[in-house]
Amino acid sequence: MKETLLFLATPIAASILLAGVLGYFGTHILTRGIIFIDIAIAQIAALGTMIGLLLGFAEESSTVQLLSYLFTLLVIGGFAFLRTKESVIPAEAVIGIIYCLGLALALLLAERIPGGSNYITKTITGNILWVTWEKVLKIGLLFAGIGLIHLVFGAKFISLSEVCRRDPSLKLKDTLYNLLFYVTFCIVVVKAVLIGGIFLVFTLLIAPSAAAALFAQSWLSRMAWSWLIGILGTVAGIFLSYSMNVSNGPAIVVLLGLLVFIMALVRLFKPTDQKMKAPS
Amino acid sequence: MISTLQFILVPLLACILLLVITSYFGIHVLKREIIFIDIALAQIAALGGVLVIFIDHRLHTHEIMVGDLFLSNILAYIASLLFCLGAAVIFTHLKSPRIKVPIEAFIGIAYALATTAAVIILDKGAGGDVHLHDMLTGSLLWTTWPQVIRLAIILVIIGGFHFIYRHRFIQLTAFYLEKSGAMKHQRKWDFLFYFTFGIMIIEAIRVAGVLTVFAFLILPASISALFAVQWRQRILIGLGSGVLAAFIGLYLSITLDVSVSPLIILLLGVILLVGVTTRKILIRHPV
Repeated sequence: MKETLLFLATPIAASILLAGVLGYFGTHILTRGIIFIDIAIAQIAALGTMIGLLLGFAEESSTVQLLSYLFTLLVIGGFAFLRTKESVIPAEAVIGIIYCLGLALALLLAERIPGGSNYITKTITGNILWVTWEKVLKIGLLFAGIGLIHLVFGAKFISLSEVCRRDPSLKLKDTLYNLLFYVTFCIVVVKAVLIGGIFLVFTLLIAPSAAAALFAQSWLSRMAWSWLIGILGTVAGIFLSYSMNVSNGPAIVVLLGLLVFIMALVRLFKPTDQKMKAPS
Repeated sequence: MISTLQFILVPLLACILLLVITSYFGIHVLKREIIFIDIALAQIAALGGVLVIFIDHRLHTHEIMVGDLFLSNILAYIASLLFCLGAAVIFTHLKSPRIKVPIEAFIGIAYALATTAAVIILDKGAGGDVHLHDMLTGSLLWTTWPQVIRLAIILVIIGGFHFIYRHRFIQLTAFYLEKSGAMKHQRKWDFLFYFTFGIMIIEAIRVAGVLTVFAFLILPASISALFAVQWRQRILIGLGSGVLAAFIGLYLSITLDVSVSPLIILLLGVILLVGVTTRKILIRHPV
Protein backbone atom coordinates (compact mmCIF):
# COMPACT_ATOMS: atom_id res chain seq x y z
CA MET A 1 0.00 0.00 0.00
CA LYS A 2 2.77 2.38 0.97
CA GLU A 3 4.68 1.68 -2.23
CA THR A 4 1.58 2.24 -4.29
CA LEU A 5 1.04 5.56 -2.58
CA LEU A 6 4.63 6.59 -3.16
CA PHE A 7 4.40 5.56 -6.81
CA LEU A 8 1.17 7.47 -7.28
CA ALA A 9 2.23 10.54 -5.29
CA THR A 10 3.63 12.41 -8.31
CA PRO A 11 0.69 11.86 -10.67
CA ILE A 12 -1.69 12.74 -7.87
CA ALA A 13 0.19 15.96 -7.15
CA ALA A 14 0.17 16.78 -10.88
CA SER A 15 -3.51 16.07 -11.28
CA ILE A 16 -4.40 18.13 -8.22
CA LEU A 17 -2.53 21.03 -9.78
CA LEU A 18 -4.33 20.52 -13.09
CA ALA A 19 -7.71 20.12 -11.44
CA GLY A 20 -7.11 23.29 -9.45
CA VAL A 21 -6.16 25.59 -12.27
CA LEU A 22 -8.52 24.06 -14.84
CA GLY A 23 -11.42 24.11 -12.40
CA TYR A 24 -10.91 27.84 -12.01
CA PHE A 25 -10.73 28.48 -15.74
CA GLY A 26 -13.64 26.12 -16.33
CA THR A 27 -15.96 28.34 -14.32
CA HIS A 28 -14.99 31.23 -16.60
CA ILE A 29 -15.35 29.14 -19.75
CA LEU A 30 -18.78 27.90 -18.75
CA THR A 31 -19.96 31.41 -17.96
CA ARG A 32 -18.65 32.63 -21.30
CA GLY A 33 -20.30 29.69 -23.04
CA ILE A 34 -17.25 28.96 -25.23
CA ILE A 35 -17.23 25.26 -24.56
CA PHE A 36 -16.24 23.57 -27.77
CA ILE A 37 -13.48 25.99 -28.54
CA ASP A 38 -11.42 24.42 -25.74
CA ILE A 39 -11.39 21.02 -27.33
CA ALA A 40 -10.31 22.69 -30.57
CA ILE A 41 -7.59 24.65 -28.76
CA ALA A 42 -6.35 21.52 -27.00
CA GLN A 43 -6.25 19.68 -30.31
CA ILE A 44 -4.33 22.50 -31.98
CA ALA A 45 -1.86 22.61 -29.07
CA ALA A 46 -1.23 18.89 -29.54
CA LEU A 47 -0.82 19.48 -33.26
CA GLY A 48 1.79 22.18 -32.57
CA THR A 49 3.73 19.72 -30.45
CA MET A 50 3.58 17.14 -33.21
CA ILE A 51 4.89 19.54 -35.81
CA GLY A 52 7.74 20.37 -33.44
CA LEU A 53 8.54 16.67 -33.14
CA LEU A 54 8.41 16.29 -36.89
CA LEU A 55 10.94 19.08 -37.28
CA GLY A 56 13.24 17.08 -35.06
CA PHE A 57 13.07 18.92 -31.74
CA ALA A 58 12.89 17.05 -28.44
CA GLU A 59 9.45 16.55 -26.95
CA GLU A 60 10.03 18.72 -23.88
CA SER A 61 12.13 21.39 -25.59
CA SER A 62 11.15 25.03 -25.48
CA THR A 63 10.94 25.23 -29.29
CA VAL A 64 8.18 22.65 -29.35
CA GLN A 65 6.27 24.49 -26.65
CA LEU A 66 6.72 27.77 -28.44
CA LEU A 67 5.22 26.20 -31.56
CA SER A 68 2.27 25.00 -29.50
CA TYR A 69 1.68 28.48 -28.09
CA LEU A 70 1.96 30.01 -31.52
CA PHE A 71 -0.61 27.62 -32.97
CA THR A 72 -3.12 28.09 -30.17
CA LEU A 73 -2.82 31.87 -30.26
CA LEU A 74 -3.28 31.80 -34.03
CA VAL A 75 -6.47 29.82 -33.68
CA ILE A 76 -7.86 32.01 -30.91
CA GLY A 77 -6.93 35.13 -32.82
CA GLY A 78 -8.41 33.77 -36.01
CA PHE A 79 -11.60 32.78 -34.27
CA ALA A 80 -11.99 36.15 -32.55
CA PHE A 81 -11.42 37.81 -35.93
CA LEU A 82 -13.92 35.60 -37.73
CA ARG A 83 -16.53 36.17 -35.10
CA THR A 84 -16.65 39.91 -35.57
CA LYS A 85 -17.87 39.56 -39.15
CA GLU A 86 -21.26 38.48 -40.29
CA SER A 87 -20.87 35.00 -41.60
CA VAL A 88 -23.02 32.50 -43.42
CA ILE A 89 -21.32 29.67 -41.54
CA PRO A 90 -22.31 29.40 -37.87
CA ALA A 91 -19.53 29.94 -35.31
CA GLU A 92 -19.93 26.42 -33.96
CA ALA A 93 -19.31 25.01 -37.42
CA VAL A 94 -16.10 27.03 -37.68
CA ILE A 95 -14.93 25.57 -34.36
CA GLY A 96 -15.91 22.09 -35.53
CA ILE A 97 -13.99 22.54 -38.76
CA ILE A 98 -10.90 23.77 -36.87
CA TYR A 99 -11.05 20.74 -34.58
CA CYS A 100 -11.62 18.35 -37.45
CA LEU A 101 -8.80 19.74 -39.58
CA GLY A 102 -6.45 19.81 -36.57
CA LEU A 103 -7.10 16.15 -35.82
CA ALA A 104 -6.85 15.15 -39.47
CA LEU A 105 -3.51 16.92 -39.85
CA ALA A 106 -2.25 15.30 -36.65
CA LEU A 107 -3.26 11.87 -37.96
CA LEU A 108 -1.48 12.53 -41.24
CA LEU A 109 1.69 13.76 -39.54
CA ALA A 110 1.62 10.82 -37.15
CA GLU A 111 2.51 8.57 -40.06
CA ARG A 112 5.70 10.50 -40.66
CA ILE A 113 6.97 10.32 -37.06
CA PRO A 114 8.37 7.05 -35.76
CA GLY A 115 5.83 5.83 -33.23
CA GLY A 116 3.47 8.58 -34.32
CA SER A 117 0.41 6.40 -34.01
CA ASN A 118 1.37 5.97 -30.39
CA TYR A 119 1.57 9.72 -30.13
CA ILE A 120 -2.04 10.11 -31.28
CA THR A 121 -3.12 7.72 -28.55
CA LYS A 122 -1.01 9.72 -26.13
CA THR A 123 -2.63 13.02 -27.03
CA ILE A 124 -5.96 11.35 -26.31
CA THR A 125 -4.99 9.54 -23.12
CA GLY A 126 -2.10 11.62 -21.79
CA ASN A 127 0.67 10.15 -19.69
CA ILE A 128 0.11 11.58 -16.28
CA LEU A 129 1.52 8.47 -14.63
CA TRP A 130 5.03 9.28 -15.82
CA VAL A 131 5.37 12.90 -14.68
CA THR A 132 8.43 13.67 -12.56
CA TRP A 133 8.63 15.79 -9.42
CA GLU A 134 10.71 18.26 -11.38
CA LYS A 135 7.90 18.75 -13.88
CA VAL A 136 5.32 19.04 -11.13
CA LEU A 137 7.42 21.73 -9.48
CA LYS A 138 7.81 23.60 -12.77
CA ILE A 139 4.13 23.67 -13.65
CA GLY A 140 3.37 24.43 -10.01
CA LEU A 141 5.48 27.57 -10.24
CA LEU A 142 3.99 28.51 -13.60
CA PHE A 143 0.45 28.02 -12.38
CA ALA A 144 1.26 30.01 -9.25
CA GLY A 145 2.42 32.87 -11.48
CA ILE A 146 -0.77 32.71 -13.52
CA GLY A 147 -2.78 32.45 -10.34
CA LEU A 148 -1.13 35.64 -9.14
CA ILE A 149 -2.17 37.48 -12.30
CA HIS A 150 -5.70 36.22 -11.79
CA LEU A 151 -5.66 37.18 -8.15
CA VAL A 152 -4.80 40.75 -9.11
CA PHE A 153 -7.22 41.08 -12.03
CA GLY A 154 -9.71 38.45 -10.85
CA ALA A 155 -12.63 40.78 -10.31
CA LYS A 156 -12.10 42.34 -13.74
CA PHE A 157 -11.98 38.93 -15.43
CA ILE A 158 -15.14 37.81 -13.69
CA SER A 159 -17.10 40.86 -14.74
CA LEU A 160 -15.78 40.44 -18.29
CA SER A 161 -16.86 36.79 -18.37
CA GLU A 162 -20.32 37.75 -17.23
CA VAL A 163 -20.66 40.51 -19.79
CA CYS A 164 -19.15 38.44 -22.60
CA ARG A 165 -22.29 36.52 -23.48
CA ARG A 166 -24.68 39.40 -23.49
CA ASP A 167 -22.58 41.99 -25.24
CA PRO A 168 -19.66 40.89 -27.40
CA SER A 169 -18.63 44.45 -28.31
CA LEU A 170 -15.90 45.66 -25.97
CA LYS A 171 -13.94 48.78 -25.26
CA LEU A 172 -10.22 48.76 -26.02
CA LYS A 173 -9.22 48.48 -22.37
CA ASP A 174 -11.53 45.54 -21.87
CA THR A 175 -10.18 43.93 -25.01
CA LEU A 176 -6.70 44.08 -23.52
CA TYR A 177 -7.91 42.43 -20.33
CA ASN A 178 -9.65 39.83 -22.44
CA LEU A 179 -6.43 39.22 -24.33
CA LEU A 180 -4.57 38.73 -21.05
CA PHE A 181 -7.22 36.24 -19.99
CA TYR A 182 -6.90 34.28 -23.20
CA VAL A 183 -3.10 34.33 -23.16
CA THR A 184 -2.99 32.89 -19.63
CA PHE A 185 -5.63 30.38 -20.65
CA CYS A 186 -3.59 29.31 -23.65
CA ILE A 187 -0.46 28.84 -21.56
CA VAL A 188 -2.36 26.67 -19.11
CA VAL A 189 -3.97 24.57 -21.85
CA VAL A 190 -0.68 23.98 -23.70
CA LYS A 191 1.08 22.90 -20.50
CA ALA A 192 -1.84 20.79 -19.36
CA VAL A 193 -2.26 19.00 -22.71
CA LEU A 194 1.40 17.98 -22.62
CA ILE A 195 0.78 16.21 -19.34
CA GLY A 196 -2.81 15.09 -19.36
CA GLY A 197 -3.86 14.80 -23.00
CA ILE A 198 -6.70 16.54 -24.82
CA PHE A 199 -9.65 14.84 -23.24
CA LEU A 200 -8.44 15.03 -19.65
CA VAL A 201 -7.87 18.76 -20.03
CA PHE A 202 -11.24 19.29 -21.63
CA THR A 203 -13.01 17.22 -19.00
CA LEU A 204 -11.25 18.86 -16.07
CA LEU A 205 -12.23 22.22 -17.51
CA ILE A 206 -15.88 21.52 -18.13
CA ALA A 207 -17.04 18.61 -15.97
CA PRO A 208 -16.31 19.82 -12.42
CA SER A 209 -17.50 23.35 -13.12
CA ALA A 210 -20.63 22.05 -14.84
CA ALA A 211 -21.38 19.79 -11.88
CA ALA A 212 -20.81 22.71 -9.51
CA ALA A 213 -22.99 25.04 -11.56
CA LEU A 214 -25.87 22.57 -11.25
CA PHE A 215 -26.16 23.19 -7.55
CA ALA A 216 -24.27 26.38 -6.69
CA GLN A 217 -24.85 29.95 -7.80
CA SER A 218 -22.16 32.33 -6.61
CA TRP A 219 -18.69 32.37 -8.18
CA LEU A 220 -16.98 31.46 -4.96
CA SER A 221 -19.09 28.43 -4.17
CA ARG A 222 -19.00 27.29 -7.79
CA MET A 223 -15.22 27.44 -7.78
CA ALA A 224 -14.91 25.74 -4.40
CA TRP A 225 -17.22 22.93 -5.51
CA SER A 226 -15.51 22.46 -8.84
CA TRP A 227 -12.14 22.24 -7.08
CA LEU A 228 -13.47 19.69 -4.66
CA ILE A 229 -15.15 17.61 -7.36
CA GLY A 230 -12.18 17.88 -9.69
CA ILE A 231 -9.58 16.90 -7.10
CA LEU A 232 -11.61 14.07 -5.62
CA GLY A 233 -12.47 12.83 -9.10
CA THR A 234 -8.88 12.79 -10.31
CA VAL A 235 -7.54 11.11 -7.17
CA ALA A 236 -10.28 8.49 -7.27
CA GLY A 237 -9.69 8.01 -10.99
CA ILE A 238 -5.97 7.46 -10.52
CA PHE A 239 -6.53 4.83 -7.83
CA LEU A 240 -9.24 3.19 -9.89
CA SER A 241 -7.06 3.05 -12.99
CA TYR A 242 -4.19 1.65 -10.96
CA SER A 243 -6.24 -1.11 -9.43
CA MET A 244 -8.06 -1.97 -12.67
CA ASN A 245 -4.97 -1.61 -14.83
CA VAL A 246 -6.36 0.88 -17.36
CA SER A 247 -4.85 4.18 -18.54
CA ASN A 248 -5.47 6.83 -15.93
CA GLY A 249 -6.34 9.82 -18.12
CA PRO A 250 -9.34 8.04 -19.64
CA ALA A 251 -10.29 6.60 -16.25
CA ILE A 252 -10.54 10.09 -14.76
CA VAL A 253 -12.49 11.34 -17.78
CA VAL A 254 -14.99 8.49 -17.61
CA LEU A 255 -15.40 8.86 -13.84
CA LEU A 256 -15.90 12.63 -13.90
CA GLY A 257 -18.10 12.45 -17.00
CA LEU A 258 -20.41 9.87 -15.50
CA LEU A 259 -20.53 11.87 -12.27
CA VAL A 260 -21.71 14.97 -14.12
CA PHE A 261 -24.47 13.06 -15.88
CA ILE A 262 -25.61 11.43 -12.65
CA MET A 263 -25.64 14.79 -10.88
CA ALA A 264 -27.55 16.36 -13.75
CA LEU A 265 -30.17 13.61 -13.59
CA VAL A 266 -30.41 14.07 -9.83
CA ARG A 267 -30.92 17.79 -10.38
CA LEU A 268 -33.55 17.05 -12.99
CA PHE A 269 -35.66 14.73 -10.88
CA LYS A 270 -35.05 16.20 -7.45
CA PRO A 271 -38.03 18.23 -6.21
CA THR A 272 -36.75 21.74 -6.66
CA ASP A 273 -36.26 23.99 -3.67
CA GLN A 274 -35.91 27.00 -5.94
CA LYS A 275 -39.61 27.64 -6.06
CA MET A 276 -39.92 27.60 -2.31
CA LYS A 277 -37.16 30.11 -1.97
CA ALA A 278 -38.55 32.52 -4.50
CA PRO A 279 -42.34 32.42 -4.69
CA SER A 280 -43.52 34.13 -7.82
CA MET B 1 -2.44 5.17 -63.76
CA ILE B 2 -5.23 2.85 -64.86
CA SER B 3 -4.48 0.29 -62.19
CA THR B 4 -4.56 3.06 -59.59
CA LEU B 5 -7.94 4.18 -60.89
CA GLN B 6 -9.21 0.61 -60.76
CA PHE B 7 -7.98 0.31 -57.22
CA ILE B 8 -9.72 3.44 -56.02
CA LEU B 9 -12.97 2.72 -57.83
CA VAL B 10 -14.72 1.00 -54.93
CA PRO B 11 -13.62 3.48 -52.23
CA LEU B 12 -14.56 6.34 -54.53
CA LEU B 13 -18.02 4.86 -55.03
CA ALA B 14 -18.37 4.55 -51.26
CA CYS B 15 -17.33 8.18 -50.84
CA ILE B 16 -19.79 9.37 -53.48
CA LEU B 17 -22.61 7.44 -51.84
CA LEU B 18 -21.72 8.85 -48.45
CA LEU B 19 -21.38 12.37 -49.79
CA VAL B 20 -24.77 12.27 -51.51
CA ILE B 21 -26.47 11.78 -48.18
CA THR B 22 -24.09 13.76 -45.94
CA SER B 23 -24.14 16.88 -48.09
CA TYR B 24 -27.92 16.79 -47.68
CA PHE B 25 -27.95 16.00 -43.94
CA GLY B 26 -25.09 18.46 -43.41
CA ILE B 27 -27.34 21.34 -44.38
CA HIS B 28 -29.82 20.21 -41.71
CA VAL B 29 -27.01 19.94 -39.17
CA LEU B 30 -25.65 23.38 -39.98
CA LYS B 31 -29.07 25.04 -39.99
CA ARG B 32 -30.02 23.43 -36.69
CA GLU B 33 -26.58 24.21 -35.26
CA ILE B 34 -26.27 20.71 -33.83
CA ILE B 35 -22.70 20.35 -34.99
CA PHE B 36 -21.12 18.82 -31.94
CA ILE B 37 -24.15 16.71 -31.05
CA ASP B 38 -23.47 14.98 -34.29
CA ILE B 39 -19.85 14.06 -33.52
CA ALA B 40 -20.86 13.09 -29.96
CA LEU B 41 -23.62 10.79 -31.24
CA ALA B 42 -21.30 9.26 -33.81
CA GLN B 43 -18.72 8.59 -31.13
CA ILE B 44 -21.34 7.13 -28.79
CA ALA B 45 -22.53 4.84 -31.57
CA ALA B 46 -18.95 3.77 -32.18
CA LEU B 47 -18.57 3.07 -28.46
CA GLY B 48 -21.64 0.82 -28.54
CA GLY B 49 -20.14 -1.15 -31.40
CA VAL B 50 -16.71 -1.39 -29.76
CA LEU B 51 -18.24 -2.59 -26.51
CA VAL B 52 -20.16 -5.45 -28.11
CA ILE B 53 -17.18 -6.58 -30.15
CA PHE B 54 -15.03 -6.55 -27.00
CA ILE B 55 -17.51 -8.61 -24.99
CA ASP B 56 -17.91 -10.93 -27.92
CA HIS B 57 -14.16 -11.43 -28.18
CA ARG B 58 -13.96 -12.20 -24.51
CA LEU B 59 -16.65 -14.83 -24.86
CA HIS B 60 -15.43 -16.42 -28.06
CA THR B 61 -11.69 -16.16 -28.04
CA HIS B 62 -11.29 -19.77 -28.99
CA GLU B 63 -14.25 -20.58 -31.18
CA ILE B 64 -14.81 -17.93 -33.79
CA MET B 65 -17.42 -19.12 -36.21
CA VAL B 66 -19.07 -17.42 -39.15
CA GLY B 67 -22.48 -17.59 -37.56
CA ASP B 68 -21.16 -15.97 -34.42
CA LEU B 69 -19.59 -13.20 -36.43
CA PHE B 70 -22.91 -12.47 -38.07
CA LEU B 71 -24.65 -12.47 -34.70
CA SER B 72 -22.09 -10.17 -33.14
CA ASN B 73 -22.44 -7.81 -36.09
CA ILE B 74 -26.15 -7.54 -35.47
CA LEU B 75 -25.58 -7.15 -31.75
CA ALA B 76 -23.05 -4.39 -32.34
CA TYR B 77 -25.55 -2.68 -34.60
CA ILE B 78 -28.33 -2.86 -32.04
CA ALA B 79 -26.00 -1.66 -29.29
CA SER B 80 -24.93 1.31 -31.43
CA LEU B 81 -28.54 2.17 -32.09
CA LEU B 82 -29.52 1.84 -28.43
CA PHE B 83 -26.57 3.93 -27.27
CA CYS B 84 -27.45 6.59 -29.82
CA LEU B 85 -31.12 6.65 -28.87
CA GLY B 86 -30.29 6.67 -25.14
CA ALA B 87 -27.97 9.62 -25.59
CA ALA B 88 -30.55 11.47 -27.68
CA VAL B 89 -33.18 10.96 -24.96
CA ILE B 90 -30.81 12.19 -22.24
CA PHE B 91 -29.83 15.27 -24.25
CA THR B 92 -33.47 16.16 -24.86
CA HIS B 93 -34.23 15.89 -21.16
CA LEU B 94 -31.20 17.91 -20.10
CA LYS B 95 -32.44 20.81 -22.20
CA SER B 96 -34.65 21.77 -19.30
CA PRO B 97 -34.98 25.13 -17.55
CA ARG B 98 -34.04 23.39 -14.32
CA ILE B 99 -30.52 22.82 -15.53
CA LYS B 100 -28.61 26.06 -15.51
CA VAL B 101 -25.63 24.65 -17.38
CA PRO B 102 -25.44 25.15 -21.16
CA ILE B 103 -26.35 21.97 -23.04
CA GLU B 104 -23.06 22.25 -24.95
CA ALA B 105 -21.23 21.30 -21.75
CA PHE B 106 -23.06 17.98 -21.58
CA ILE B 107 -22.54 17.31 -25.27
CA GLY B 108 -18.82 17.98 -24.95
CA ILE B 109 -18.50 15.80 -21.85
CA ALA B 110 -20.42 13.01 -23.58
CA TYR B 111 -18.03 13.20 -26.53
CA ALA B 112 -14.96 13.07 -24.25
CA LEU B 113 -16.53 10.26 -22.24
CA ALA B 114 -17.37 8.14 -25.27
CA THR B 115 -13.96 8.62 -26.87
CA THR B 116 -11.93 7.79 -23.78
CA ALA B 117 -14.19 4.88 -22.83
CA ALA B 118 -13.62 3.45 -26.31
CA VAL B 119 -9.87 3.99 -25.82
CA ILE B 120 -9.94 2.10 -22.52
CA ILE B 121 -11.76 -0.80 -24.13
CA LEU B 122 -9.53 -0.84 -27.22
CA ASP B 123 -6.46 -0.70 -24.99
CA LYS B 124 -7.50 -4.01 -23.48
CA GLY B 125 -7.31 -5.70 -26.84
CA ALA B 126 -4.21 -6.14 -28.95
CA GLY B 127 -3.21 -3.38 -31.37
CA GLY B 128 -5.16 -0.65 -29.63
CA ASP B 129 -3.47 2.12 -31.61
CA VAL B 130 -4.57 0.61 -34.90
CA HIS B 131 -8.17 0.23 -33.76
CA LEU B 132 -8.16 3.80 -32.54
CA HIS B 133 -7.09 4.95 -35.99
CA ASP B 134 -9.84 2.85 -37.52
CA MET B 135 -12.45 4.25 -35.19
CA LEU B 136 -11.49 7.80 -36.13
CA THR B 137 -10.86 7.51 -39.84
CA GLY B 138 -12.19 4.09 -40.85
CA SER B 139 -10.54 2.09 -43.58
CA LEU B 140 -11.97 3.65 -46.70
CA LEU B 141 -9.30 2.25 -48.96
CA TRP B 142 -10.32 -1.29 -48.09
CA THR B 143 -14.01 -0.86 -48.76
CA THR B 144 -15.48 -3.96 -50.40
CA TRP B 145 -18.28 -4.36 -52.95
CA PRO B 146 -20.69 -5.91 -50.42
CA GLN B 147 -20.15 -2.88 -48.16
CA VAL B 148 -20.86 -0.49 -51.02
CA ILE B 149 -24.01 -2.37 -52.01
CA ARG B 150 -25.23 -2.42 -48.43
CA LEU B 151 -24.52 1.30 -48.11
CA ALA B 152 -26.36 1.96 -51.36
CA ILE B 153 -29.46 0.04 -50.25
CA ILE B 154 -29.69 1.82 -46.92
CA LEU B 155 -29.03 5.21 -48.46
CA VAL B 156 -31.69 4.67 -51.11
CA ILE B 157 -34.22 3.86 -48.39
CA ILE B 158 -33.30 6.82 -46.17
CA GLY B 159 -32.71 9.18 -49.06
CA GLY B 160 -35.97 8.14 -50.72
CA PHE B 161 -37.88 8.71 -47.50
CA HIS B 162 -36.36 12.16 -47.13
CA PHE B 163 -36.97 12.93 -50.80
CA ILE B 164 -40.66 12.04 -50.62
CA TYR B 165 -41.18 14.11 -47.47
CA ARG B 166 -38.56 16.73 -48.33
CA HIS B 167 -40.91 19.67 -47.83
CA ARG B 168 -41.76 18.54 -44.35
CA PHE B 169 -38.15 17.96 -43.31
CA ILE B 170 -37.00 21.29 -44.74
CA GLN B 171 -39.86 23.08 -43.03
CA LEU B 172 -39.04 21.23 -39.82
CA THR B 173 -35.46 22.45 -39.81
CA ALA B 174 -36.52 25.97 -40.73
CA PHE B 175 -38.71 25.99 -37.62
CA TYR B 176 -36.21 24.17 -35.43
CA LEU B 177 -34.54 27.17 -33.85
CA GLU B 178 -37.87 28.94 -33.28
CA LYS B 179 -40.55 28.06 -30.78
CA SER B 180 -41.90 24.55 -31.08
CA GLY B 181 -45.48 23.96 -32.15
CA ALA B 182 -45.15 25.93 -35.35
CA MET B 183 -45.77 22.80 -37.36
CA LYS B 184 -48.20 19.90 -37.24
CA HIS B 185 -46.88 16.71 -35.61
CA GLN B 186 -43.53 18.39 -35.03
CA ARG B 187 -42.43 15.82 -32.46
CA LYS B 188 -43.17 12.88 -34.70
CA TRP B 189 -41.25 14.37 -37.60
CA ASP B 190 -38.40 15.42 -35.35
CA PHE B 191 -38.15 11.86 -34.11
CA LEU B 192 -38.20 10.54 -37.68
CA PHE B 193 -35.46 12.99 -38.61
CA TYR B 194 -33.18 11.92 -35.77
CA PHE B 195 -33.97 8.25 -36.29
CA THR B 196 -33.01 8.29 -39.97
CA PHE B 197 -30.03 10.53 -39.19
CA GLY B 198 -28.84 8.07 -36.55
CA ILE B 199 -29.09 5.05 -38.88
CA MET B 200 -27.22 6.98 -41.56
CA ILE B 201 -24.45 7.89 -39.08
CA ILE B 202 -24.07 4.32 -37.82
CA GLU B 203 -23.81 3.03 -41.38
CA ALA B 204 -21.41 5.77 -42.40
CA ILE B 205 -18.97 5.41 -39.50
CA ARG B 206 -18.65 1.69 -40.19
CA VAL B 207 -17.15 2.55 -43.54
CA ALA B 208 -15.44 5.88 -43.01
CA GLY B 209 -14.87 6.40 -39.27
CA VAL B 210 -16.12 9.06 -36.86
CA LEU B 211 -13.89 11.92 -37.95
CA THR B 212 -14.41 11.46 -41.70
CA VAL B 213 -18.19 11.35 -41.35
CA PHE B 214 -18.08 14.47 -39.20
CA ALA B 215 -16.02 16.21 -41.88
CA PHE B 216 -18.32 14.98 -44.67
CA LEU B 217 -21.27 16.45 -42.83
CA ILE B 218 -20.02 19.90 -41.96
CA LEU B 219 -17.43 20.78 -44.60
CA PRO B 220 -19.45 20.33 -47.84
CA ALA B 221 -22.44 22.04 -46.22
CA SER B 222 -20.22 24.95 -45.14
CA ILE B 223 -18.73 25.27 -48.62
CA SER B 224 -22.17 25.28 -50.23
CA ALA B 225 -23.44 27.83 -47.68
CA LEU B 226 -20.96 30.29 -49.16
CA PHE B 227 -22.48 30.27 -52.62
CA ALA B 228 -26.07 29.14 -52.51
CA VAL B 229 -29.27 29.34 -50.51
CA GLN B 230 -31.52 26.85 -52.25
CA TRP B 231 -31.32 23.27 -50.99
CA ARG B 232 -30.94 21.70 -54.43
CA GLN B 233 -28.02 23.94 -55.36
CA ARG B 234 -26.41 23.51 -51.96
CA ILE B 235 -26.55 19.73 -52.20
CA LEU B 236 -25.04 19.84 -55.68
CA ILE B 237 -22.23 22.20 -54.64
CA GLY B 238 -21.51 20.17 -51.50
CA LEU B 239 -21.54 16.93 -53.44
CA GLY B 240 -19.31 18.35 -56.16
CA SER B 241 -16.67 19.68 -53.78
CA GLY B 242 -16.83 16.50 -51.71
CA VAL B 243 -16.35 14.20 -54.69
CA LEU B 244 -13.51 16.38 -55.97
CA ALA B 245 -11.74 16.15 -52.60
CA ALA B 246 -12.42 12.42 -52.35
CA PHE B 247 -11.08 11.73 -55.85
CA ILE B 248 -7.90 13.79 -55.41
CA GLY B 249 -7.45 12.44 -51.90
CA LEU B 250 -7.78 8.81 -52.96
CA TYR B 251 -5.46 9.30 -55.89
CA LEU B 252 -2.80 11.12 -53.86
CA SER B 253 -3.11 8.67 -51.01
CA ILE B 254 -2.08 5.85 -53.35
CA THR B 255 0.69 7.71 -55.12
CA LEU B 256 2.11 9.38 -52.00
CA ASP B 257 1.42 6.43 -49.70
CA VAL B 258 -0.37 8.32 -46.91
CA SER B 259 -3.66 7.42 -45.28
CA VAL B 260 -6.64 8.57 -47.22
CA SER B 261 -9.24 9.89 -44.78
CA PRO B 262 -7.16 12.68 -43.21
CA LEU B 263 -6.06 13.67 -46.70
CA ILE B 264 -9.64 14.01 -47.95
CA ILE B 265 -10.56 16.02 -44.84
CA LEU B 266 -7.65 18.41 -45.36
CA LEU B 267 -8.50 18.78 -49.06
CA LEU B 268 -12.05 19.70 -48.10
CA GLY B 269 -10.52 22.30 -45.78
CA VAL B 270 -8.48 23.66 -48.68
CA ILE B 271 -11.60 23.85 -50.87
CA LEU B 272 -13.39 25.72 -48.08
CA LEU B 273 -10.52 28.23 -47.85
CA VAL B 274 -10.57 28.73 -51.61
CA GLY B 275 -14.33 29.15 -51.39
CA VAL B 276 -14.11 31.78 -48.66
CA THR B 277 -11.52 33.73 -50.66
CA THR B 278 -13.54 33.49 -53.86
CA ARG B 279 -16.63 34.70 -52.08
CA LYS B 280 -14.75 37.70 -50.71
CA ILE B 281 -13.51 38.61 -54.17
CA LEU B 282 -16.99 38.11 -55.63
CA ILE B 283 -18.52 40.37 -53.01
CA ARG B 284 -15.98 43.08 -53.62
CA HIS B 285 -16.11 42.87 -57.41
CA PRO B 286 -19.54 41.64 -58.43
CA VAL B 287 -19.68 40.25 -61.93
